[in-house]
Order: sequence, then C-alpha cells, then structure tokens
Amino acid sequence: MSGMKPNIYFNKRVAVVGAGLTLFRRRIWETPQEMSWEAARKALDEAGLELKDIDCVVIGSAPDAFDGIHMKGEYLSHGAGGIRKMVSRVFVGGATGVMTPIAGWYHVASGLCSKVLVVAEEKMSPGRPHPQAVFKYIWDPITEKPLNPNLIWIFAMEMHRYMKAYNIKKEDIALVSVKNKNNAIDNPYAQIPAKITVEDVLKSEVLVWPVQLLDISPVSDGAAAMVLVGEDQARQLTDTPVWIEGVGWTLDSTGWPGRDLAYPRYLEHAARMAYKMAGIERPYKEIDVVEPYDPFDYKELHHLEGLMIAKRGEAPKLLKEGVFDRNGDIPSSPSGGLLGVGNPIAAAGLMKTISIYWQLKGTAGKMQVKKPVHTGVAQAWGDLMQASTVIVMRN
Amino acid sequence: MAWEKRGTEGSLVTWYDNMEVEAYVYTAGPVGEAFIKGLNDKKILGSRCPKCGRVYVPARMYCEYCFIKTEDTLVEVKGRAYIYTYTTVYKDHYGNTLQTPLHIGLIKFEGVTGGLLAYIDGKPEIGKEVEIVSYGIPLKVKVK
Repeated sequence: MSGMKPNIYFNKRVAVVGAGLTLFRRRIWETPQEMSWEAARKALDEAGLELKDIDCVVIGSAPDAFDGIHMKGEYLSHGAGGIRKMVSRVFVGGATGVMTPIAGWYHVASGLCSKVLVVAEEKMSPGRPHPQAVFKYIWDPITEKPLNPNLIWIFAMEMHRYMKAYNIKKEDIALVSVKNKNNAIDNPYAQIPAKITVEDVLKSEVLVWPVQLLDISPVSDGAAAMVLVGEDQARQLTDTPVWIEGVGWTLDSTGWPGRDLAYPRYLEHAARMAYKMAGIERPYKEIDVVEPYDPFDYKELHHLEGLMIAKRGEAPKLLKEGVFDRNGDIPSSPSGGLLGVGNPIAAAGLMKTISIYWQLKGTAGKMQVKKPVHTGVAQAWGDLMQASTVIVMRN
Repeated sequence: MAWEKRGTEGSLVTWYDNMEVEAYVYTAGPVGEAFIKGLNDKKILGSRCPKCGRVYVPARMYCEYCFIKTEDTLVEVKGRAYIYTYTTVYKDHYGNTLQTPLHIGLIKFEGVTGGLLAYIDGKPEIGKEVEIVSYGIPLKVKVK
C-alpha cells in the first residue's frame, strides 16, 4: 500500500458504552429531529448517561435533499442533543454511517472530549416521486449526466462486470438476499424481514438487469445513535465495554470509468488502514463477525472481498458453504443488513456498527451469533463506488 | 478564467438542467399533528416537559434541555401573546415593490418557550400585545 501511512498513535482508547435505534420503516411519521431524539435517548439510556454528561455530538446524515431540509446537520442537532455543545456533521455519501462513529472516535482518541454522542439519521420518504432523484446530479455534468443514468443502472453494470470477471451466477448472489432477509426476522427494528428462497429472488421483478427487486435494499426512514467514551470513563460505566481498535476510510477517484469495477479497491485501502491500527494481519482468520455494506446482494460479496475476508471472486463460494451464515465461521450481516433491516443511508451504516457492538457485548438477543466473538468489523460504502469506511471493534 | 472572456453562453459547451427533486411531502409527526389540530380549533397548544416544566410552542415530542419525552397531553396556552420582534417588508422575493408593506413578526406567549411567525395587522411595536385573528401556519395577528 503505497502512500498510506495512517497515524496510529492516539491519546486515549475509545469504548462504545451504549447504542439505540428507531424502527426502520418506509415512512416514519415523526420528524427527523424526533427520530434523532428517540435514537439518542435510547443510546444514553443504555449507557446510563444523561445529556448533561455528554461533551460533544457528532451527527451523520447523507444529502440534505433526502429529508428535504437544507443544512440538515444544524437542523438535526436539536434532536441529537447538540444544543450548546460542540457539534459537527460528517458526510461521505453512503459511507457516512460508519464515518460517524469514526469521527466520534477521533474526538475521544485525540483527548479533546471524554464522552461523545454519535447520531445518524435519514428520512428518505419526503422526496417525490422517488428519492433516487437526489442521485441524478452526482455525475459529471457534461460527459455523463446527459444520458440521465441513475445509481441503480450504474450498480447493475458493476454487478454485471463482477459476475463476468469471476463467472458468478445470479443464483449465487441471490443467496445473500435470502440469508440477510432471513436474519432480519430476528431483528426487532427490521423493515423487510422475510423467509424467501433463491427462486423468489430470481423470479422477482427485473428492475435494471441483472438487478431484480429482491436484490436491492428498500427506501427507508430511520435513526441510530451510539455513545463513545474514553477508557477511564468506560470502566466506571460498564463491565463490558466494546473497544474501537481500528478505523479506516478512503475515497477513490470519481473517475469510475477508469477503475476496475469487479473489485472494490476503495475498500481495500480503508480496510488496510483499519487492520493496521487494530493489528489484524490475516482478516479471514482474525475477524469473528462482520457487517459489510449490503444495499445490493452482490455488494455484500464484493465487500467481503474488499475486506480481504474472501479472496477475489471467492465470496460466493464461501457463502454457499455457509461460512457467512449466522451460525457459520464468519457470520456476515447477522443483523439482517440493509437488505433485511432497511437502508436509511447514514442510519444504516451506524446500525451495522451497532450490530457489531451488540454482538461483541453479547446483547444481540436472537441476532446473537452462535460462536464466541472477539473481533468484529463494520463497513459502509458510498458515492460513485468510491468511498469506504471501516471500523474494527473488540470486546 | 471568467468564461465570458472565452465565449458566450450559446457558443460554449454547456448542459442545461434542473436539479430539484420534483416535490417533498413533510410529516408533522404525532405531536406536530396535535398542535396543528389545536390551531384548527383556535387554540395554541404547547407540550410540557414533566421535569423542568417548560412549555414548548410549537409543540414537540421532547425537551431539548432535559432530553426526555414531553407529556402526552398538550396544554392550552393562555398567556398573553405579544410581539417579541418584527420587521416590515417592502419588496417581494423577486424585487418587486409591494403595494402595501408587510409586517411580519415573531409572536411569543407569556410562560412559553418558543414562538410563532406571524403576519401582523395594525401598527406593530415590540412588546405590544396582539390578538390572534387567524389560527394557522402562518399565524395572523392584530395589534391590540
């Protein structure tokens, strides 16, 4: 890895001591501020803290155009507990959900703050006719936009390239959707849990070939929150802190036509940074449970490869063998992922981080994986197949 | 470089488009809806924090100070409504001069945290009591 020298010397170890989620639903009645408050309140309750104990607030939310409120970070800060505190909002596209706890982490790791409330929110139901319109203008305005592509078209082409490069069949990919929607049955926050078969996926409506209806996550509203504290505080608050041991994030070029679409190099860079910090040398052996970003079923496989948990093109084989099942060797998306729980962009990434936190704490309830777990990884992805964020946690 | 030095709008390579989502539908949530229904009944309703006792107008689900849920039943605000501040608008958003200058103000209520934007009839003055002539968003008030 040339040119990547993350600074791994930090001031304080950082622990997660509380988390909270709203239900993920197609349309939530409450306002975005109220959704943020609900998640934040639950996270404080789990941590045994009050808002007055919190030094600073980090908010994560994707484009303002989803909720339809400009300067959404400032708007949300009210419900996120940010009033009269140090507040910042992070935004790295779809990768925001994992960037939010990473930003929370550096507030504490640097020694600047001792207790941070991290809140991610997305309300995608207000936009008409469809929130996909928000993505109409992420393209090069002169050389790409005139064709009027939407994101699903481009990901369909990425999926197709991935299938061709490694000779992967639609039915191999469909298994991800089957697994994740089934896992979501045990997740009380899930929007679209379902017991489905590979056949159901293959027979579902074709949206943009090879992407069919059951290959893709839904449009969702939801919020998530987490409380991070320094080591000194963590021991006072809980007997079972979960430590953030590695973080990584990178952005590849917007020149996606010039990149290898069959392999998420943007993620490998971020993963290497996080693994180096966490001292992980053999990810496929050292990671016990993983939440890779799965807005599409092929994307979970893609990301398992970018995370170097599977070799290039081999994730489908391991999936078929049951390695990624909840009771498998490396359970993947035990929460149900975006395919089963829902995809309120920033909140979805934080939900994945929270899933790993609950797994490592042993409080994931019916979602708890069978094997004992020590090291977990959550990951998110966004922009033009560009941005990735990775967080490594240990108990 | 300034593109005017290179060519005119018609001679340069450009692409015209409209970036907006076609429309938005915003929901008020359960508390917001009760508040709006209150306006329809010609009532100003507020939400009270069970801990600090603050009453919020417009009503909302949580107290920003105590960070807990406000009481389920909204309370009717009976305190005096007054002009906290106001301004007078002479032109519309396109720069056209208005035939009649428009007074808009922030109306507060005694004993309440928050306030509502309103059109003001009459001769406004900061601190002056107002009478609500039309309950709605925005509110319409008349100087007493």
